Amino acid sequence: MNRLNQLPTLRIDPAVNHSLTYRGRTYQGVAGDTVATALFANGVRIFGRSLKYHRPRGLYSLDGECSNTCMEVDGIPNVRAENTLLENGMTVKEQNVKGSAERDWLGFMDKLDWMMPAGFYYKIMHKPAAIWPMAMKQIRKAAGLGIISADHKMKGRYDEQFLKAEVTVIGGGAAGMAAALAAAQSGRRVILLESRPHLGGCFDYRVSTTSDGTPLHERARQLAEKVKQTTNIRLFEHTSMVGAYNNNLITAFQVGKADDGFTECYIEIRSDSVVVATGCIERPLLFDNNERPGVMQVGCAHRLARTYGLLPGNAAVFSVGHNPGLEAAVDLFDLGLKINCVADIREDGQDPALLLALTERKIPVLKGWVATKAHGSKMVQKATLCTIDGMVKRQFSCDLLVASAGLTPVSGPFILAQAIMGYDDHTGYFLPDQLPEKMFPAGRITGINDPDAIETSGRLAGLEAASAAGADLWTKVAETRNALAAMPGPERGCKLVIAPVKGRKSFICFDEDATVKSVKQAIDQGFDVPELVKRFAGVGLGPGQGGIPGHNLPLFVAKYTASKETPKPTTVRPPLVPAFIATYAGYNHHMFKRTPIHHSQKADGGIFRNIGVWQRARYFTADVDCKEEILNVRNNVGMLDASTLGKFRIHGPDALKALQRVYVSDMGKAGKDRIKYSAMCNDDGCVIDDGVVVKRGENDYYFTTSTGRAGQTAEWIRYHTRYDNWDFHLVNLTDAMGVINLSGPNARKVLTKVVDIDLSNEAFPFSGYREFYIQDTIFTRALRLGFVGELSYELHVPSSYMQAVWDLLTEAGKAFGIRNFGVEAQNVLRMEKGHIILGQESEQRTNLLDVGLGFLWDRSKTVARTVGAVALRQAANDTGRLTLVGIRMEDDARPARDGSLIVDNKVRGYVATMRRSFTSGEAVGMALVESQLAGAGTRLEIFEDECNGVRIYARVVPMPFYDPEGERMKS
Amino acid sequence: MADIRRQSPMRFNTGPCRTEVRDNWTVTLAYDDEGDGPWLTDLAHKIRWDLQDGNIDAVKPSGLTIPASPGRCTLAGGTLINRMNGTQASIYHLGAKAPALPDFAGYTDVSESMVFLALFGPGVFYIAEKLTNLDFMDPAGKAPFLLQGPFCHIPCQIVILEKTPDGSGGFLLTCSRGYGDSMVAAILKAGAEFNLRPAGENRFDTWISCLSGEI
Repeated sequence: MNRLNQLPTLRIDPAVNHSLTYRGRTYQGVAGDTVATALFANGVRIFGRSLKYHRPRGLYSLDGECSNTCMEVDGIPNVRAENTLLENGMTVKEQNVKGSAERDWLGFMDKLDWMMPAGFYYKIMHKPAAIWPMAMKQIRKAAGLGIISADHKMKGRYDEQFLKAEVTVIGGGAAGMAAALAAAQSGRRVILLESRPHLGGCFDYRVSTTSDGTPLHERARQLAEKVKQTTNIRLFEHTSMVGAYNNNLITAFQVGKADDGFTECYIEIRSDSVVVATGCIERPLLFDNNERPGVMQVGCAHRLARTYGLLPGNAAVFSVGHNPGLEAAVDLFDLGLKINCVADIREDGQDPALLLALTERKIPVLKGWVATKAHGSKMVQKATLCTIDGMVKRQFSCDLLVASAGLTPVSGPFILAQAIMGYDDHTGYFLPDQLPEKMFPAGRITGINDPDAIETSGRLAGLEAASAAGADLWTKVAETRNALAAMPGPERGCKLVIAPVKGRKSFICFDEDATVKSVKQAIDQGFDVPELVKRFAGVGLGPGQGGIPGHNLPLFVAKYTASKETPKPTTVRPPLVPAFIATYAGYNHHMFKRTPIHHSQKADGGIFRNIGVWQRARYFTADVDCKEEILNVRNNVGMLDASTLGKFRIHGPDALKALQRVYVSDMGKAGKDRIKYSAMCNDDGCVIDDGVVVKRGENDYYFTTSTGRAGQTAEWIRYHTRYDNWDFHLVNLTDAMGVINLSGPNARKVLTKVVDIDLSNEAFPFSGYREFYIQDTIFTRALRLGFVGELSYELHVPSSYMQAVWDLLTEAGKAFGIRNFGVEAQNVLRMEKGHIILGQESEQRTNLLDVGLGFLWDRSKTVARTVGAVALRQAANDTGRLTLVGIRMEDDARPARDGSLIVDNKVRGYVATMRRSFTSGEAVGMALVESQLAGAGTRLEIFEDECNGVRIYARVVPMPFYDPEGERMKS
Repeated sequence: MADIRRQSPMRFNTGPCRTEVRDNWTVTLAYDDEGDGPWLTDLAHKIRWDLQDGNIDAVKPSGLTIPASPGRCTLAGGTLINRMNGTQASIYHLGAKAPALPDFAGYTDVSESMVFLALFGPGVFYIAEKLTNLDFMDPAGKAPFLLQGPFCHIPCQIVILEKTPDGSGGFLLTCSRGYGDSMVAAILKAGAEFNLRPAGENRFDTWISCLSGEI
């Protein structure tokens, strides 16, 4: 197809060819083409088939307002070919066809529309019920859009940006550009979003002029140049706004150009104020076969020629309801399109200059006429026009039927911003009754069409938005408002709802193949408001997000129901236009913490698991039971990286009071050389954390928390002391100190080789705390603990030295066969010893007493009200609570899984942790059971997931299972 | 005594071309090809203090006055003081040497707690806006100023030391040390299209010298 290559309005570069493959053939497009225009240039007119009836579909809006031109591009289905810029080498396929778009074997479905009335999905093929699964499969085969493989991997790079602006302008037409420029003059940061790949909006392709004689396309380019030169305007072209949320959070996504670092970029903008200059789309004209290829909107036909240099047809009929339709007819005629007739729905009100121009070109104009039918099985071959009262009909041959009932504002941003929409009787638009806070409309969305007024309204909105963002521009606002008032205001809109047809093949929603007839069926069945019709008849539920039916549906429902109330539009939801899920996912950075010796642990064979925010080594061999790791600790010596423990400094005159408040014990007993183990509860007495506290100086304490609580501890303490005005300060040292747990009967021998203090049991006993330097350099805090039930030293060292200390101990322990042990081995070791892990042996309801930690609670403490003490007092005599007990399986070869339920005829508790002990050879563990079942020897019935009714059994036994006197850890 | 070395929480794939050992840190002074910016510099070896006290305004770290308003910062003599809230300030020693921790209970040395990095050079704030919704370019914010909030979803303390309308300048960032690998990976990935490269301490020092003229 020959291009109109010399037009000043072109957005293509005919000198740069791009090729694409479609149906096995290679076609040539040019730079600036969309996939759709490139195919159109090569004679493709049918782009796909419709959802239900497999009707042929072609270009209609050129803005992707419906699924007509959704195609599979480079393996990605449902790509809007009208919005997708052509790239060299693309492979394009049609969708929803059996055969080809031209010859679809399922085209006969169009004759079976009588079998598929509104809501047929809900009403038939359900009885008998066995039919439905089969019917569903067949329906899904026959209907639907693109198909994607479950393991498809999106190519490309998906970026994200989080922006801040004082003013955000949505829409880069003349009004949007004027708004951005006006707002930017105040020095405010302005962001301008334009969904097309270039600025200009409805000025971009038009040759009509402003009041000073400047062609609109030229004016658009002048404004665009100014915008690009204004440093405080950030311009985002090919960027669609998709969401609006509280406090003017605007979301959008940008399609990357060839030289951008991204394929698509998700954008979030926090904006003080927003200008909505989204303009208008066209309201589809409802007549029979109104979506037949060859029927297209005014803007589509006009832009095909002016923007892409492609005449939309050879011989055309126009059926329009607004002046831009007449303007397009004149211009397209001048570009070489034969126009057989222009039917204007309006009896009067046309722009006299345009009527004169049509007359001069000898184009017949029929006022008060409208298209009622497009003829032709696959393509338009002729059109029937008739008077709007249906009395007189005429037929015109044509291969192009340009049809539009009028304009409709793109009001999605207002609806997303929770504006209450109303119907404006003059323009026929749905507009906000009240504007959302700090949101301002500009341009054609307000109903104006005069080019000067469009710019001025943009300027006014920009000034208002900047003022709302803090600029003092109210004088200019008043002046501009007066100037706008002196210009042509909103134009009277076309009120025709539907051509005089029955509507069996008049499509109100192209995406879902919903006809006027199906809407009538829905209403006749009682679904008499647009929101119900929308769902029952499937109108506006497709990828076009109601762009095609959004205006017509409420108008038609109001007319068909003879409603006296004003029409109400249906709502829209984000995303306003289809976006890839990959775009929303963005970078998807995996942010997690690693301990200071992560890499050496990995080199040692560590198998890592994410535990909360941390990555921790769970095993060091493929043996998930960790037998060797466990036995090495029991018999020799092992090292665990416990750096994830929470570690804090609390200091200040009231530090002790704060500790007394949150810990259940009397923290005044925390000493300088001894650790104090205690626990924290919430107000319900439920235990939430445990750890040790050391007094390092006057009003200066060091304490630890569990890994999971480290992130919340500081806020927890501040929250529970918020009314006391106490003078204390917290410093989170969790990441500052690496922690090595050196455990096993040979632990002392290993440590002795590294430090030069007396490590004898007398000099550094169990529960002792010491500070010293390793190699005179590394400040170390050492705690004699016994979590795993053996002689243990917990060494807290500066994180940057952690690897050095680890290496020293590894070297020192070589003679003893020292080796790593991981979190799972620790879990078994401490379980054998009967030491609990909160979260493992407890859950949300478990209080301090339930898990046997009541001995920590100092009931006589009066210094500060202990969090949870009141609830604990009440719970102390409650016999109906769960109790932590030791259990042993009747079959030692068959430990129950963690979390298994303990049942009789109802749930009586659950298994917290259970393993087969390599030390004793018994399958033992801990369980929370109702107190009646807590007696020693009680037989417990255990239900596991997927046990197929086979229960397993255990008995309550005394704890701990290992070294009950604690001789090993205290020796 | 064994040859003891300290390790930074950050790792770059690029090998250093010049290093020196300082207080057991192996400090990278320069990398082979640092490019034309922007740059990312590991400052883990720089000393940072936390200062908390009920009467914090009376405290003079390194003889400097702590800014009165939260969010404000003072940079002088290689010492950067950031007012965090009514009772707390953070103090960064950006020079080669730092004074000993004062004998005052309100101070805590938190050098080991955090990742400490500098991101500076042309277009650096365009990288930042890919990772955070914090407003680095707030016209009301006069450098140096402090932001506290999420960067790459991680709570961070960020000090903007320089900013120009074209998105250039630089800032210091601290976050929990454990996030070092994740944070560096995220920043380098976001900065790839801007040709972000690791840079040694020399380049950082040059930048800071230009800012303060004092180091």
